[in-house]
Amino acid sequence: MAENEKSWDWEIGPKPAKSLSAIKSIYSYRHFHSALVRKEFLLNYQQTILGPIWIFFQPLLTLIVYVLVFGRLIGIPIGKTIPPVLFYFSGIVLWNFFSDCFAGISNTFRDHIHLYSKVYFPRIIVPLSVLTTHFLRFLIQFSMLVILVIYFISFKGFHVRFGLDLLALPFVFVGIAMISGGCGLIAALLTARYRDFVNLIGIVIRLLMFVTPVLYPLAAVKDSLKWIVLINPLTPYFELFRYALLGEGTINNYALLYSFLFGIVILIISLSLFNAKSSKLIDIS
Amino acid sequence: MEEIVLSVENLSKQYRLGKIGTGSLRQDLSYWWKHKVLEKSDPFFYADEDERFIWALKDVNFELKSGEALGIIGSNGSGKSTLLKIISKITLPTKGYVRGNGTISSILEIGTGFHPELSGRENIFMSGYALGMTKEEIRKKFDEIVSFSGIEKFIDTPVKRFSSGMYVRLAFSVAAHLEPDILIIDEVLAVGDVEFQKKCMGKMQDVSHQKGRTILFVSHNMTAINNLCSKAIWLEKGILQKNGTAKEVVKSYLEKFAKPNLPKEWVELSAAPGNDMIRLKKTSVEAVEQSFISVATPVKICCEFWCLTEGFSVNINVRLNAEHGECVFDLGSSSVQAQRSIMQLDVVIPARLLNNQTYSVSLTVVKNHAEPIFEFSNCLSLDVQDERQDMNYFGAWPGVTRPVINNNLRIKELLENDQTKKISSWNA
Repeated sequence: MAENEKSWDWEIGPKPAKSLSAIKSIYSYRHFHSALVRKEFLLNYQQTILGPIWIFFQPLLTLIVYVLVFGRLIGIPIGKTIPPVLFYFSGIVLWNFFSDCFAGISNTFRDHIHLYSKVYFPRIIVPLSVLTTHFLRFLIQFSMLVILVIYFISFKGFHVRFGLDLLALPFVFVGIAMISGGCGLIAALLTARYRDFVNLIGIVIRLLMFVTPVLYPLAAVKDSLKWIVLINPLTPYFELFRYALLGEGTINNYALLYSFLFGIVILIISLSLFNAKSSKLIDIS
Repeated sequence: MEEIVLSVENLSKQYRLGKIGTGSLRQDLSYWWKHKVLEKSDPFFYADEDERFIWALKDVNFELKSGEALGIIGSNGSGKSTLLKIISKITLPTKGYVRGNGTISSILEIGTGFHPELSGRENIFMSGYALGMTKEEIRKKFDEIVSFSGIEKFIDTPVKRFSSGMYVRLAFSVAAHLEPDILIIDEVLAVGDVEFQKKCMGKMQDVSHQKGRTILFVSHNMTAINNLCSKAIWLEKGILQKNGTAKEVVKSYLEKFAKPNLPKEWVELSAAPGNDMIRLKKTSVEAVEQSFISVATPVKICCEFWCLTEGFSVNINVRLNAEHGECVFDLGSSSVQAQRSIMQLDVVIPARLLNNQTYSVSLTVVKNHAEPIFEFSNCLSLDVQDERQDMNYFGAWPGVTRPVINNNLRIKELLENDQTKKISSWNA
C-alpha cells in the first residue's frame, strides 16, 4: 500500500505546530474561550452577598483609601485642574487592568494545569480568556469613571473639553493589553518552570506601580529621577489616558512610539516562546 | 480495504527524572553557561545523563483503520497514558510521529473542565467545550445528556453539592455524547455504581459497534477489552510487546501476568510444614489445557505429603475458601491406610464452577475419619481470571461461585388486549 503518498489531516511530531495553524484553531475554540470568561465572572461572585456589585465596589474602596492616604495624609501634588477623586480613580482603573491581566496571565499554568494536562485545546486560549475577562471588567470600571467625570462636570464645575483626544483611548487600551499580555505570558512560562517567580511577580507588580504615574502625574516627578519613570513603557499610556479623558497630562510622541514598539516586540517574543515551550512545560508543571 | 485513520510511527517519549523546579534555575543557568556560552562539555553533567532520563515510550508503531476499536493494555507505568497523551496532543513526543485523519477527542479523566462552583448546566457546557464540542452540538444533545445522567432535578445546583456518584454520572454523560471520528478513552469505567457502569458500557458498545467510530481504549479490565475491542496492543516499559487481535493479545498478557500459581516444594523434611506424623512436600495448582486459570478452565490441585507414621486409616479434607474467607466447599477425600510413604492427593475442580477471584485452599489430615492430625491452613492459593463472551456487563461478578446452571426464560402466554388496558389504567 502506498502509505507514503497518503495525505493526513494532521500530524504530531517532536516539534510544536506552526504558529499559523495554531491561530486557525483558536477560532474553532471561540466558545470555549467565552465559556472560560463566563466562568471567571461567575466564580468571582459565587456565594457573595453583593455579587457582581463588587466590580464597582472594589475600585471605589481603593479610591477612598488612596484619596485619604495619598491625597490627605501625604499630599502628593496631582496637578492644578483635575479633582483628586477623578485623578486617583483614573489611575486605579487603568492600573487594575494592567496588574490583574499581568498577574492573571502569569498564573496560567498553575491555575489551569488540570485542564492543560487532560485535554487538548490551543494553549493560548486560557491566557486569552484571562485577558478578555479583565478587559471586560476594566470596561465596566471605565464606564464608572466616565459617569464620575460627567458628574463632576455637571455638579462640581469641572471643565474639560472633549474632542478628538478621546480617540486616543482605544489606543491606550490596546497598548496596555499588549504589554500586560506579553509580559504576563513570559512570566507564565517562567513560573511554570521555576516556582520562585510566583513570589517575585507580586513584588514586581507592586514596584512597577511606584514607577508608573498612577498616584502622581509625570509632571510632578523631579527631573533627576524622571528617567526611571520614562523607561517604563506604561508611563506614556497613563499620561495619554489622563490627557484624553481629563485634559491634563504630559504627551510625547516619541515616548508613545517607544511604548507601542515595546508592546509589539514583547508580544511577538512572548507568543513565539509560548508556542514553542508550552507543551514542554505541561510535562513538568 | 478500509482506510487507515491513525498511524503511529516510531513514537518515543523521554521524561526527565528527579526534582525539577527548586534549585534547577541555578543548574540550568550553569548548564547553559557552560554549553552554550563557553562551549565546553561538562564531564560531570554527562556522566549521569542516562540515569536522569527515562523512556516512557520507545519506538512504538501501529496503525488503526476506520471503525476499529483498539484496546491498550499493560501494567502500571508501561506508557499507556503517555501514548494517549501524545495522540491527544497534550504532550509532544521526543521522537516519531502520529498522523491521522478526522477529528479526535479524548477522555483522559472523568469531569474534564468541571468546576465545583458551577451548576450542572454550566458544567455541561464547560466540559463540552473543553472536550471540543461546538455550541450547537451541546445544545442539540443537552436534554439527552441530562437524561442519560439521571440528575434532572439537580441540573441548576453547583456540582460541589453533588454526591460523588452524581458528579461522575454527569461527567460521563457529557463525554459519552462526544462524536469525534477518533475517540480516546483512558480507564474511565472504574467509576460509578454497578447500574451506571452497565449503562456506560452499553453506550460504549453502541459507539464502537454501531456508529463505526474509531476508538482507543485503555483498561485493566481484560473482559472489557475482549468484548469492546477488535484489536489490542500490549505495552511494557514503553515498548510494544504485542500487536494483534484483542483475544490474542489479552491471552498472552494474562499468560505473562496472571499471578503465577507457582508450585511450592519443600526439599528438606525438617523444614517442611507439618508435624511428626505428616509433612507437606509439594503443592501445585494449574489450569487444565491452558497456561492460566480462568473461569472457563478446570483447575487441578495436586499435593504431596510425607507420611511418617502407619497403622491407621487417613484421609484429607480439602476446604476451598473464597476471598473473604467464606467456605466454598469442603471435600473429604477417599481414605488410605497410612504407611511410611509419599502420598499424593489430586483434586480437579471442574470448569465453570469458580468465579474470578482469589481462593485459598486449606487441607486437614484426618486419622480414622475422626481425629484431625494436622491442618495446613491456606497452604495454597489460586487466582481465577475472568472470561466472558457476548455480554454487556463488565463489572465485578458477584458470588463466591459462578456455576453454569440451566435456566429457561420464555413467554408463557400472551395477554388479551383488554387485560393489558386494564393494567395500564391501574397504573395511570
